[in-house]
Amino acid sequence: MNSAVYRQWKFDAPIVSLCANRNGDWVAAALGDGTARLFPASDEAIEPKIIQLHDGVSLSLQPDADAHAFLSGGDDGKILIIDPAVGETVLLAEHKNQWIDHVAGSADGKYRAYNTGKKIHVLDEEGKAKYDAPLTSPSNPGALVFSPNGKRLAASHYNGVSLWWMNAKDKSATVLAWKGSHLDVIWSPDGKLLLTSMQDCALHGWQLSDSKEMRMQGYAAKIRSMGFTARAKYLATSGAEQVICWPFSGGGPWGKPPLTLGGTDNRLVTQVAPHPKDEMVAAGYDDGMIIMAPLDGRMEVMINPPSAIDKSPIKGLVWNAAGDTLFAATESGTLMLFTLDSVRKALVHTN
Amino acid sequence: MTQIPVTVLTGYLGAGKTTLLNRILSEPHGKKYAVIVNEYGEEGIDGALVVGADEEVFEMNNGCICCTVRGDLIRVISGLMKRAANFDGILVETTGLADPGPVAQTFFADEEIAAKAKIDSIVTVVDAKHLPLRLKDSKEAEEQIAFADIILLNKADLVSADELAEIERAIRAINRYAKIIRTTKCQVPLDQILGLGSFDLNEILKREPDFLKTEEEHDHHDHEHHHGPGCGHDCGHDHHEHHDHGHHHANEIHDSEISSLSLVTEQALDGAKFEEWLGDLRANKGQDLLRYKGIIDIKGSDRRLVIQGVHMMMDGTNLGHWKEDEKRVSRLVFIGRHLDEKTLREGFARCAA
Repeated sequence: MNSAVYRQWKFDAPIVSLCANRNGDWVAAALGDGTARLFPASDEAIEPKIIQLHDGVSLSLQPDADAHAFLSGGDDGKILIIDPAVGETVLLAEHKNQWIDHVAGSADGKYRAYNTGKKIHVLDEEGKAKYDAPLTSPSNPGALVFSPNGKRLAASHYNGVSLWWMNAKDKSATVLAWKGSHLDVIWSPDGKLLLTSMQDCALHGWQLSDSKEMRMQGYAAKIRSMGFTARAKYLATSGAEQVICWPFSGGGPWGKPPLTLGGTDNRLVTQVAPHPKDEMVAAGYDDGMIIMAPLDGRMEVMINPPSAIDKSPIKGLVWNAAGDTLFAATESGTLMLFTLDSVRKALVHTN
Repeated sequence: MTQIPVTVLTGYLGAGKTTLLNRILSEPHGKKYAVIVNEYGEEGIDGALVVGADEEVFEMNNGCICCTVRGDLIRVISGLMKRAANFDGILVETTGLADPGPVAQTFFADEEIAAKAKIDSIVTVVDAKHLPLRLKDSKEAEEQIAFADIILLNKADLVSADELAEIERAIRAINRYAKIIRTTKCQVPLDQILGLGSFDLNEILKREPDFLKTEEEHDHHDHEHHHGPGCGHDCGHDHHEHHDHGHHHANEIHDSEISSLSLVTEQALDGAKFEEWLGDLRANKGQDLLRYKGIIDIKGSDRRLVIQGVHMMMDGTNLGHWKEDEKRVSRLVFIGRHLDEKTLREGFARCAA
């Protein structure tokens, strides 16, 4: 079978991250040469805008507090707001000789946060520091993520996660403790649950109301990509041979086995992208294969065969808000665009 | 994908690490290095990408192996690898108090890092003038010597020949297998400290003749026979030559908990027994095993088993074939704390097929 790709672009540098803005109508790809490519998130994407982001490379590319824009933190100490329609950046802040490992924008548009080492800086809508001195994390944070309504900021670190309420004046943190190095963070869409992926290839989670915990082990690799599916029925995760989907409807995943999607074939899922509306997940693998798998047990569809475009792992996978266009980035620097139409056409040809 | 070599520079404050770093960076080798230091802002490190990072040691439970890794190195090396224009090498300068164990383990325990980088060597810079004092007041100084592949005995010009010989003996009592290079102002040809492949199993095999060299003194020694039961340090023999044998002999400079030991046999080993013995050793004494290397003849196998380990993390594979007319000798060397020589020799002997 050939790839169902509708359009593709080959860049001269590796793609380090791929991200959609909060509106879901623009997509940004950060490259290893410090530049970024901006595309409208639809089949109208033809020529990307090219912009220079950092002297070295972007370490963190995220949707901004402004639903239209992106936020990028780099190894040159700069934090940039990117306006994709205009194709320009605004310097929000700069810390010379420091790395900006993580950036985050709150969904209510009020705050932006980033770290320099163990210090977490929070800026208000006017770009002014919210606190007299930065918040501190017990170790370099593994991630910085605002809750879906923007009211709380989470920083994962060694031995747990620290949480701060944005409407509180003081800087005291609530600490969720669990031994080990916590990396990525995800909030459930209703903000009631928080999960982290860990250095030792497991997930850990807390139900915030009563601190009831959950632990999911057995992954072959670190879980680098996760997302809640439509209506938060499942949490789809990478890091295994199959897409592992933990059931969250009906009171939580405790005591329930995960739904596993995709075949088992000695490859590793590197990226998952739940469809924004339908009960389906797109997944990318370490050999470049991409599938679309329905959550109801029907067979998955392969939309990009392994090594069809290049042999490198899928590094980013993103839907637009409308759910009719899927972008996929390979580590070595190819960006692919699939539409539901191009997928349907490719399937017809196969059959 | 080629892995970028990482050289770890360790040693006590003032021994000369920064001098060494500057030397490496200022030579006209045309190579691009990234340097990871504990605190950015050190004077005199130019011409390279320098990243400052606080040492962060994280405990990790990975299946049945409990090990510690350097979270800061995972984060920084991942970040460095994102850059399109990559580096020819990475130099990691650790503080005088750093434990080299977690540094080495990081390159084996984290798969993402292992895919992109490999630890090349641990180079320890030692201040010849102050080492005796350092050994007395700092456990870290001992450990940094124990973990080293290369030891630069720096400021050699500031001590007498006799003192130098004494210091080398003290170092040898801890680590018999490291290469010691006497230096002044860390002047050393770069090809003696960079690109050595000290953790590379292929390189370990290639250097097999060196394994032999450290053994020549041993070939005809069996201490139990030499001294007889109950022989202590004051039995009147001249113990001078035995200082090289890595036993717990009181050294004039320092009595270390750390020593080196080598096990040799011309009998082929039973694969299963050896695996079990070494596995138990790693599980029970992992904390005290600092570094170990071996080339083993397994009965029924035509290929050499080459192994390399740091604490519980071990790397081993079958490499190359024993030659037709080659005498097959199994050699296993340990550098560790509280090594119980008798138990280790007996355990190893029981692995014979």
